[in-house]
Amino acid sequence: MTTKKKRSAHTSNDSWVVIAADSALDKTKLDDGDPTFIRLRNPATGAASQYLFSRGDARLYEVKAFVEDFHSWFIDQTVQRDGRLLYVTPMDPLFLLLPYLQSGAVEGKFQPLQQIVMDEDYPGCTRLLKCTQALDTLQHVADEKVVGSQKFHRYSQEKTMDWLKKKVLNTVSALKKSNISVGGGVKSTTYVRVKQETDVTEEDYLRYAHGLISEYISEDLSKDLHKHLQLPEISSPKEVEPPSKKRKLSDKPVEAGEDYTKFNSADFARKPPKKMTAAQKTLAKVDKTGMKSMSSFFSPKVKQEMK
Amino acid sequence: MDLRDFEADNSVSCRLSSPVPDLCRTEDCCLGIDEAGRGPVLGPMVYGICFCPVSRKENLKNLKVADSKTLSEAERENLFLKLDKAKGFVGWALQILSPNTISTSMLQRAKYNLNALSHDAAIGLVQYALDCGVQLKEVFVDTVGPAEKYEEKLSQRFPGVKVTVRPKADSLFPIVSAASICAKVARDHAVKDWKFTEDLGRVDTDYGSGYPNDPKTKSWLLKYLDPVFGYPQFVRFSWSTAQTLLDSKAVPVHWDDDEDREKAAARQNNTSVLSYFSRSKPAGNTPKRETHRFFTERRLQSIDTL
Repeated sequence: MTTKKKRSAHTSNDSWVVIAADSALDKTKLDDGDPTFIRLRNPATGAASQYLFSRGDARLYEVKAFVEDFHSWFIDQTVQRDGRLLYVTPMDPLFLLLPYLQSGAVEGKFQPLQQIVMDEDYPGCTRLLKCTQALDTLQHVADEKVVGSQKFHRYSQEKTMDWLKKKVLNTVSALKKSNISVGGGVKSTTYVRVKQETDVTEEDYLRYAHGLISEYISEDLSKDLHKHLQLPEISSPKEVEPPSKKRKLSDKPVEAGEDYTKFNSADFARKPPKKMTAAQKTLAKVDKTGMKSMSSFFSPKVKQEMK
Repeated sequence: MDLRDFEADNSVSCRLSSPVPDLCRTEDCCLGIDEAGRGPVLGPMVYGICFCPVSRKENLKNLKVADSKTLSEAERENLFLKLDKAKGFVGWALQILSPNTISTSMLQRAKYNLNALSHDAAIGLVQYALDCGVQLKEVFVDTVGPAEKYEEKLSQRFPGVKVTVRPKADSLFPIVSAASICAKVARDHAVKDWKFTEDLGRVDTDYGSGYPNDPKTKSWLLKYLDPVFGYPQFVRFSWSTAQTLLDSKAVPVHWDDDEDREKAAARQNNTSVLSYFSRSKPAGNTPKRETHRFFTERRLQSIDTL
């Protein structure tokens, strides 16, 4: 390359490439307004994330973007510089309501939903209360009291744990059905396995599913759920001590095997690193993620794992 | 010269050849190799071979073939017709390397440079002659790169054939001159009647010699520079002339094997060694929840703005 190319910051687009569920764009009811994108508080991170309400706020969808470097779109006669692909997938609105219910639980009182689900930063969150699915399933995570015509709710940790556990188990069966590799080892999704993974345990599935569900709940809840599932903590790998070398004993005085003084002489100047050949350069560029170093196969620690 | 085979798809490499004279299958033959259009930023590079029985070298001389560079276009055309008429003892074959082939070879991930491309074209043509049953004994080549190395490479590739690589071979050996005429005529025809696959409307064909230092060529390149796509396939993208113009005038395009970017990324991901010795940990190191590998492996992320 003769000149350095500068990469300007991504500018916002007026068009997106989206894959959405048909139900998200349902056109049966015409009077309730169009499906709308909305920023809501992400229950896992607490920061803003994009979601979509279907017509009339009946259903909630999350928006995930496929983002990889060096991608662009050709769309008919135009070029779109960001190669993003947006996925609009159905989402359980309870996940978004949970943080509000939890913070309301501090007082330990039954409260009407309208008082619980309020957010200065994300006023759109009240629209969650129109989701039929949210209202129908609230009893999974909260106790309910009806006084007159009004309903009152109170967050319940036990109920929530049971509900989340069910989510994890559902996820496990979905993972098994869709043949997703949950074990360690090679991490590339494009890698096609010839052999079925045989050494994957039920615990691997549980752990993976717990991780997935944790993407939708707060860190504290994730820890609680971990306990609830009775998953053993992963012990961090012990520090590897260098193998104790057996020394050869001999009575003779120790002498240097090689003469290193030659390196001190003046003519042993440091040579500049050799230029790599084209073949070596291409080799050096190979994606090495997931590869083990050759020496790792010979260390005693690996042997233990193999047993 | 009939270039229809090439014009049918001028984005790839194409071989054209004369019928092989019967004499060449029975008598010991000599063969000359030369190329045309190595330097231009426009149009194909053409490799040509010519062969005839060693006993008929004199007849070839009588045709007054000479280095194609010393001849006018009309003279070259004339000489080519004479060569073509001498089909009793002269055969020829051409390898037309389209500008697109040159661009994609030189710019692909594992770089394939012009010298290697040239050598392989030459080797392919000699092999073609052998496959046709031509009794090859001598091969004369105008050099590409260091002469000794090239000669050694060709000798090893074709044991039993005496290979002579010389600079200026096209003016020393009539059989190389003949090859150079075939190559040059083919290149002239290809450039003159270039069929643009791109929809450019009526193309201004006044692109001069096609050499990078020709002002006509330069202004043509500027005129046909598309900000997104760059040039039509007629242009060799791998030429620095083309690249410099693209870098300054066209939209920047980034590939994942761009060198400078790779280094910058590597630098970004690394924490400076010094930071480990400072009293306070660097601000960016506060533990942040990691996204689950289901999403990171699939390059999926939540977004906060559309």
